[in-house]
Amino acid sequence: MNVPPVGATTSRPSRPRRGLRLWAVAGALTAYTLFAGRKVGFDVSSFWSVWSNPLWGKFWPIPWDWVLDRHNVLDPLVETLQIAVISTLIGCTLALPLAFAMSPLTSPNRVTLVVSRSVMNVVRAVPDLFWAKLLVTAVGVGAFAGSWALSVFSLGVMVKLFSETIDGADPRPLEAARAAGGRHAPVVRTGVLPTVLPEYVAYGLYVFELNIRASVVLGLVGAGGIGRVVESQRQYFRFDRVLGVLVLVFVVVFVIEQVSVAIRRRLV
Amino acid sequence: MSSERQLKPSGSPSLSADRGTEADDHDTTDARAVIRFDDVSVTYRGGVQALRNVDLRVDDGEFVVVVGLSGAGKSTLLRALNGLVPATSGSITIDGTEVVGAGAAELRVIRSQIGMIFQTFNLVHRTSVLNNVLMGRLSAVPAWRSTLGLWPSAEREAALQALERVGIVEKAYVRASNLSGGQQQRVGIARALAQEPAVMLADEPVAALDPVTSRQVMGDLLRINREMGITTLVNLHFLDLAREFGRRLVGLRDGEVVFDGDISDVTDDTFQEIYGRAITDDDLLTVDAEPAG
Repeated sequence: MNVPPVGATTSRPSRPRRGLRLWAVAGALTAYTLFAGRKVGFDVSSFWSVWSNPLWGKFWPIPWDWVLDRHNVLDPLVETLQIAVISTLIGCTLALPLAFAMSPLTSPNRVTLVVSRSVMNVVRAVPDLFWAKLLVTAVGVGAFAGSWALSVFSLGVMVKLFSETIDGADPRPLEAARAAGGRHAPVVRTGVLPTVLPEYVAYGLYVFELNIRASVVLGLVGAGGIGRVVESQRQYFRFDRVLGVLVLVFVVVFVIEQVSVAIRRRLV
Repeated sequence: MSSERQLKPSGSPSLSADRGTEADDHDTTDARAVIRFDDVSVTYRGGVQALRNVDLRVDDGEFVVVVGLSGAGKSTLLRALNGLVPATSGSITIDGTEVVGAGAAELRVIRSQIGMIFQTFNLVHRTSVLNNVLMGRLSAVPAWRSTLGLWPSAEREAALQALERVGIVEKAYVRASNLSGGQQQRVGIARALAQEPAVMLADEPVAALDPVTSRQVMGDLLRINREMGITTLVNLHFLDLAREFGRRLVGLRDGEVVFDGDISDVTDDTFQEIYGRAITDDDLLTVDAEPAG
């Protein structure tokens, strides 16, 4: 037995030198940023000229009588919320089984894993605005197209976030459930779902927040909701009304986010 | 302390080498053998050979302690038995049913008859103790019911009875994460009991517990073995615990069975042979002034 005694001297390793590489990377990034800025004609001074634009005067005063009239703003705003609710529900419901299929930990087999991952990669690669345009073309202008577009968008976001949570879940209860002789679905349901359920709800709320903001934007391309009002008033150059609508939207989004954040903090 | 150990007649102890005669010894009791390993080898992807030509017979109702260094193949031995780790070659049967090469449906039936207890308890922390124990009833209810969480009241009753057996039924509706280590392992035992298994496998069940709790949990396992006649295999690496609770001892070294015999025939030399080195205090759960045994 040739075991060295405790405390025997072995040579100390030299301190790893990362400094040079770090500087090289930082330098390259800086150089490319400057190059990119010049290429697109980025000019800081243009920020200041924006403020002298006479358009700003048109934003004020906010015509509250018009803004607070039900038919002008509140009804479309409610429609926006409804789009957000329904699409969150559809997207998150579909995401639950899909996310389990997409995680190597819980996927029933390799084929399911690869197919579901590929399909979702394609779905996510298409931007939400493009989905909205596509669906407006397919089913016509209005909240219906917006709901579908946002459902697809919710599904994409939710599946990405949630399947990564599943990836990181404790595999040991799964082994226990498997050892008890359960079928695949109940094994996943009893062995993993309780562990990741709080995150699922939290992500669902987060997707709801995203959807409210996104449904404002989607209205711009004819997918219903408050975005349609913003777009039409902008076309009439009624920026005072646009600002009023935006203030209202800000208040609603802010309140919902605060509530959602409070709930999420309690969940996880 | 050692009087009990003489109770069980068993194959003559033999240190490694002559496996042929050992198998012959057991052939006389083969009718009662619930578990049979015949020339079983397990090679993991990457080439590590965890079990080498293992032959083993375990009779109905036996309480077998498996010892060996970490990496000797103890965990693999248990996991090959319920198919969690597929055997590369050889034959493993439980009550006459072949495990090696069994299809998914057959494997589920086999696993439903084998309860398993884990070193790290493997409970779902974010749900109730009762829900954890109900996992032991997965094979008894249709998949849609357990997936939706619609457990029949008979199954809940079975789970509660399993909790009563390990004396922890008052925690049924407590979140599993709120239990102490010893309580969590009892829930693990209850989960295995809920299967109403013929065989119980315990993979280092007390490695994560303190000495006092370790003895309680080992006592639970032995009591269940006695009262319910469940054939039990326990992996241990503490030698004093193995002596205290074991009836029959199986020693593994480098994936081979190097000892198989009655605990009363085990000496310190036996352990040294199994471990391939001198026994140290680290191999004992409790270190007294006097040497153990």
